[in-house]
This record gives sequence, structure tokens and C-alpha cells, in this order.
Amino acid sequence: MIAVLGLVIGVVAGLVFEPTVPVSLQPYLPIAVVAALDALFGGLRALLDGIFDDRVFLVSFLSNVVVAALIVFLGDQLGVGSQLSTGVVVVLGIRIFSNAAAIRRHLFKA
Amino acid sequence: MTSRHGDSPTARVPDASMSLLNDVARMPLEPAYRTVADQRAREGRRRVTVRHQTMSALLAVMLGLATASAALALRAPQPAVLAARAIIEKQIAERTAAVDTLRLQNAETAQQIAALQATVLAAHDSPLVDQLAADSVLSGASALTGPGLRITLSDAPDVGGVVDPDRRVQDVDLQILVNGLWAAGAEAIAVNDHRLTTTTAVRSAGSAILVDLNPLVGPYVVDAIGDGADLQTRLARVSAGQHLATLRTTYSIGVDVSAKNSLELPAASLPELRDARVPAGVPPIGGSASAGSPTGSGSPPRTGGG
Repeated sequence: MIAVLGLVIGVVAGLVFEPTVPVSLQPYLPIAVVAALDALFGGLRALLDGIFDDRVFLVSFLSNVVVAALIVFLGDQLGVGSQLSTGVVVVLGIRIFSNAAAIRRHLFKA
Repeated sequence: MTSRHGDSPTARVPDASMSLLNDVARMPLEPAYRTVADQRAREGRRRVTVRHQTMSALLAVMLGLATASAALALRAPQPAVLAARAIIEKQIAERTAAVDTLRLQNAETAQQIAALQATVLAAHDSPLVDQLAADSVLSGASALTGPGLRITLSDAPDVGGVVDPDRRVQDVDLQILVNGLWAAGAEAIAVNDHRLTTTTAVRSAGSAILVDLNPLVGPYVVDAIGDGADLQTRLARVSAGQHLATLRTTYSIGVDVSAKNSLELPAASLPELRDARVPAGVPPIGGSASAGSPTGSGSPPRTGGG
């Protein structure tokens, strides 16, 4: 639970202090945020499944964000940045959808 | 493949070529959650050190901070968009100023033409001058001063920051008001110093009201020349008066009606000269006016259609 608590504190701090993101990182933000969402939904589902684990949650969160940014970076270097971004968004989108469906089944039994 | 070659063949999955998509669709949860849970079930709870806890908390705070600031940065308007907007705004201001300058020049030239016309005609035929003066009042070709009615329409204040088009003055409102004023016997009408003629259109483009293609900004001041008190009573009797009351009570649009002793109405933009003839019995004017267009016209220039 300490991970969730830390995450909430971090988000609140981010909203309050509004730190500026370096311009060089700007292109990776959209994908990174989608990846973070995917990790969040995964964590929520694991919590409802009763198998939540701080370490797995944090590692998956971090690796998701880093890998997503890396893929965009690689795509930009190879000239297929937008296509690769689309692919990543599709895959993460499907995962978010399935996790959201599982969460819904947990909560509403339907 | 048959079993004669040694290793037993695995049953071929029909959709093996789509394994990636299947993986994505059927295994949305990180497998690590399950693995760790199984491990915990077998070996009991993992020993958690304070250092480990602190590291986790720090990492979590950092990730939360990064995500929140990333989301905020994405929501902020892009500087490039703002710059483009500023440039366009500047261009609009410049062009509008240029148009105003040209319009002023136009008005001055029109005044000169009218003065020249008057002097030339006065020398030859005085009934024509009178007719021209009367016609130019009707057609809006000359500026007018006189008593009349001033009606000011202003947008209702927004409620809770929500822009409600119903609470804005619309082109229909101005149309009804202007038509009502004509019906009430107004001799000349101007909206925000734009003189209305027989061919003036009051309409809207987007959320802006256009009078003769000139965008107006509220509050909308409608000046009508005529007998102020008389206009006011007659306006209340036609449907426009009812409409104004509805605007005031239902939509909280500001409606201010006041009689004025002296209103100044500008001339309308000069109509195009479409048809000009020298009436029978008028001797052709030589000398000073012969070089230009036939100014000694009996019928005032009127624009048709529209």
C-alpha cells in the first residue's frame, strides 16, 4: 500500500507545484501517460484480484513508462515514430480495456 | 509432419499467427502479479526491510510526480498555437484599421462629390437639387441629424461562465427591431453607426452579427430618426415591442430605449452607379462636369436586388 500512498502524494505534489517538463522530453509524454494509465489499471485489477504487490506495481509502472518512451524515441530515430506510437497506443488501449472490463466484473458482478 | 520423425508434434493452434494479439487480449494483467502471489503462498510473506520500504515510497512519489506533471504539460496550450493566434490577431487589427482608413477616405470623397454635384446642379436646375436631396435621405446616401429614438441592446451576463447563445443579442433580434422601427415610421436607422439602406443585410456569421458585412460588437446601439415619442408608442404597438419585452424578461438581455433630441446618422456606404440618364428637357451640362460620369442624372443612384 505504501506504493499507492506514495503515488497519490506524488500526484498531489505535481498538481500543486506544477513542475515544468523539459522540452526535450515533451514528445514522449503522451505515450508515457498512456503507459502509466495501463499500469494503474493493472494495479487496480490486481488489487481486486487480491494479488496486489507493491514491488510488481512499481516495477511495471516504471518499466511501462520507460519502455513506451524508448519505443517513441526509437521510432523517431528510424522515421516511423507516428506508426510505432499508434501501435503502442493500440496495444496499451486493448490492455486498459480488458483490465477495465475485469474491474467492472469485480465491482458489479456483471 | 508425422510421429515417425521422433519428437511428437504439438497440436497446432489454428490462430498461431495471431499469438501476439491473443497475448494482449487474454493476458492484460502483468503475469508478475500472479507469480509473486504464488510465491508468497508457497513461502509465506516476504521479509520487507525499512530500506526497501523507503525506496518504494520514493519511487512511487517520483512516478506520481512525473505522471502528474506530464499530464499537466500535455493539457497546457502549445506555445506555437499561441504565437500563431497572436499573429492572426495582429493581422486582423491591422486590416481592420486599413479598412477604416479607406472607409473614411471614401466618405470624404463622397462628400466632395455631393458638394460638386450640388454646385453644378444649383446653377442650372433647382427642382433637381431638391429631388436629389430627398432621394439621398431615403437611400441613405447623405448623413442626417435630427431627433429620434436610441435603443441599446446588450448581452446578458454569463451565468457560471457558461456561454448561452440564447442570452446573447442575435441577428434575428436586430432584424425584428429594425423592421419594427421602419414600420413605426422611422425616417433613417443606423446600427452602431452603420446606416441602414434598402439593401442592407443584418445577419450573423458564427457568433458575430454583421451589418452590411461589417462585424459588430455589443452593445448594439440602434439610432432611429423620427418623432421620438411617437416612434416609441408605435414601436410598442407592433410585434417588435413584444419581442423586446420578451428579450428583457426571459433572457435578461439589456434593452434601453430613450428619446434623443439630436441624433447624428452617418451616410451609408456609397451605392454603385448602375444606370444614369439625362432627363428630357435638361440641357446637357458642358464644361466642368463633362469629363466625369453623367452627374446630372434625374434618378438618384440606387442599387438593386441584394
